[in-house]
Amino acid sequence: MSSKYEVHTITKDGQLLLQKMEQDQVETVWDRLATQDPQCGYCEMGLSCRICAMGPCRVDPFGEGPQQGVCGADADIIVARNLGRMIAGGAAAHSDHGRDLVEVLAEVAAGRAPGYSIADEEKLLKVAREYGIDTAGRKILEIAGELAVALQEEFGTRKGYLTMANRAPEKRGEIWKKAGITPRGIDRETSEMMHRTHIGVDNGWQSLLLHGLRNALSDGWGGSMIATEVSDILFGTPKPSPNLVNIGVLQENEVNIVVHGHNPVVSEKVMEACESTDMVKLARDKGAKGINLVGVCCTGTELLMRHGIPMAGNFLMSELIIGTGAVEMMIVDYQCIMPSLGAAIAPHYHTKMVSTSDKARFPGMEHREFHPDNAAELARQLVREAIENFDQRGEIYLPVQPTPSVGGFSVEAIIEALGGTPQPLIDAITAGKIRGAVGVVGCNNPKIKHDYGHVTLTKRLIENDYLVVDTGCASFANAKAGLKVAEAIKSAGPGLREVCGSLGIPPVLNMGSCVDNVRILMLASALANALQVDICDLPLAGAAPEWFTEKAISIGTYFVASGVYTVLGPMPPITGSMNIVNLLTSGLDDVVGATFAVEADPEKAALLIQRHIETKRKSLGLSYREL
Amino acid sequence: MKQVQVHPERCVGCMQCMLACATAHSQTKKLFSAVNESPLPKPRIHVGAGLFHEGFPNRCHHCDPAPCMLACLPGAIFRDPDTGTVLIDPDLCINCASCAMACPFGVLRYHQDWAAPPAKTIAQKCDNCLDRQHIGLVPACVEVCKTGALTFEESDAALKRKTHEVACAIASGLEQQPLIPMGVELLRATKKQRSHLQC
Repeated sequence: MSSKYEVHTITKDGQLLLQKMEQDQVETVWDRLATQDPQCGYCEMGLSCRICAMGPCRVDPFGEGPQQGVCGADADIIVARNLGRMIAGGAAAHSDHGRDLVEVLAEVAAGRAPGYSIADEEKLLKVAREYGIDTAGRKILEIAGELAVALQEEFGTRKGYLTMANRAPEKRGEIWKKAGITPRGIDRETSEMMHRTHIGVDNGWQSLLLHGLRNALSDGWGGSMIATEVSDILFGTPKPSPNLVNIGVLQENEVNIVVHGHNPVVSEKVMEACESTDMVKLARDKGAKGINLVGVCCTGTELLMRHGIPMAGNFLMSELIIGTGAVEMMIVDYQCIMPSLGAAIAPHYHTKMVSTSDKARFPGMEHREFHPDNAAELARQLVREAIENFDQRGEIYLPVQPTPSVGGFSVEAIIEALGGTPQPLIDAITAGKIRGAVGVVGCNNPKIKHDYGHVTLTKRLIENDYLVVDTGCASFANAKAGLKVAEAIKSAGPGLREVCGSLGIPPVLNMGSCVDNVRILMLASALANALQVDICDLPLAGAAPEWFTEKAISIGTYFVASGVYTVLGPMPPITGSMNIVNLLTSGLDDVVGATFAVEADPEKAALLIQRHIETKRKSLGLSYREL
Repeated sequence: MKQVQVHPERCVGCMQCMLACATAHSQTKKLFSAVNESPLPKPRIHVGAGLFHEGFPNRCHHCDPAPCMLACLPGAIFRDPDTGTVLIDPDLCINCASCAMACPFGVLRYHQDWAAPPAKTIAQKCDNCLDRQHIGLVPACVEVCKTGALTFEESDAALKRKTHEVACAIASGLEQQPLIPMGVELLRATKKQRSHLQC
């Protein structure tokens, strides 16, 4: 039996910090999970319904108690409604994130966002042309303004489809049309899901789930894709660059500022303020050697991808990072920010907590709202306050050295690394040197040993010659495990080692934040188009070994609806309806050519994925392995 | 004599029994108002988590002979002759915890109660909802348990039913309903696997 800290996480920094937090008598997410044990079985099975006030209702899975809610909804209907609302929640979060970025783009175009600019004009022009905007001989800001309007229109469009969904292979579009799940507008599908799941509307569990697919597609080929593309336009399309990861990136003698959340609008300005000479001088005057900006979660990923800013950790590390005592300020925006941070963790240390989004408040945090017009100045003000907090430090604990990694593999960067076309990757797959590609993505969930799912699955895949692309919290698990440097090819199988070695890339490619999962969709589309097949024909798979958010459910669903077989670690709340379990894990194959699978053990998940990919190779007439 | 019977294989860990028990032992008997009472009413049934995060409703067995009763120095613990229920006299209890040391099931708790002298902490445990039974109601935990993990019946009847279920389950060559539905099995299997992976 391993020590109680090893039971929680495979990371050395995590284990040491957990021990320290216990000595400091500070409760963490793992302690709070233990107090919730056992968790409610009705809710775990998706059998409780709180949608209307005739309830709350629950259905007895043993068949003796109630089999219907007050309205008459049975287990199938209740589970489908609950799952539908989870998808809607996730799609709403991603899409609202995208909307915020488009608003900044509009403000930049109107000259009302001092400090922001267009960083990637080429991508701006490319996306503008997709939207039929005339770009010849026009001023960049004029095009940006017109594109911002076109993108804003996508949220409530009346044209009946999303322009970016045209990026999917033609065959995919036909499948969506045939199944009646072509996304017709970003806000529309989420809004319709809330309508359908209102009491007394859609009580067909199949039609509810089909709409769930459409809702998720409006995220993947809509809200999230807009978020990624506009982030690239505003802040630059990522290129590979080295960086450092884990808690060791915090600096003993510098002012440490942590950005946490998902939106780069705030963190980019904070980064600029940290780099300004007068701020650095101020920090030195205060006795610090400099200012050290590091990231947590996807806001950190956005900075790492574009600027090589170091990452202190992923979601489950967010509390522990404050426990080092070395963080002067944590600046948060939205999504996956535990309310415990400001209320229960930071008060034990000197860390100043600041919330920045008009739509996100947290107990124990000072609210300082960022808008495009005040962002640059407010960022400087916050950095100044962080510097002033430096002399409030008590003892600090930074027990590990950082691990090197390489990030920044946007689709553009991968194609460039391949020499300008996806052909070398296709050749390597055709020759069987690379068996296929797998997106290992998603969150951390304290129900799964921290980072164990991500790292174990990734290791098994690369050692068997499957290329791994990753995003979000998964990407930092793999980076901390040392799988994201060129030398990591020594952990890869002979074929993958040869291909990655000749290209000078790691066997695991960081494609960005969780919104950036759309980069994987775009890469899959590029491969499918090059081979003139559909995404579901390719030797690809996805996995979310430690997921926990509604966003992850939406991501998983748009992956499956786009034709990518997807393995989830934790079981979603669906086991109350075996009809739904069966539809999601086998029935969907007939509808969209892909299914979900659930497998908490990453060793077994790796086998499922390998079997799937080898089957796809066989269908394509390529060499295949019997597993 | 009807008793509360525990069927742990049916417990889904929802803790509705705990809420209902606390409400039934409140002054106002309504959840809405009970949460504002002082002292706050507390449950006398507790749902624990097993090795694989499965729920288990743990309650007083009203043992006979009852170790808590034998251990009670001031004689505050006594048996109701009509129902066999083991009860605690709040006026006599001296909060010495001897009963808790003697109890093999760990069901004793110590806290203030509206029915006890003000500000006095006393031993508390299941009283079989005798007040409710007197007005024709079943114990509150049983009433809210929708999965049948808690039933109110003669132990003979419960055992007979259980025997029948087991007999059906092991009968060969016969078509029968599985004891545990597939969805529940699936959830439990994933939770069990999760527990193994945590080691």
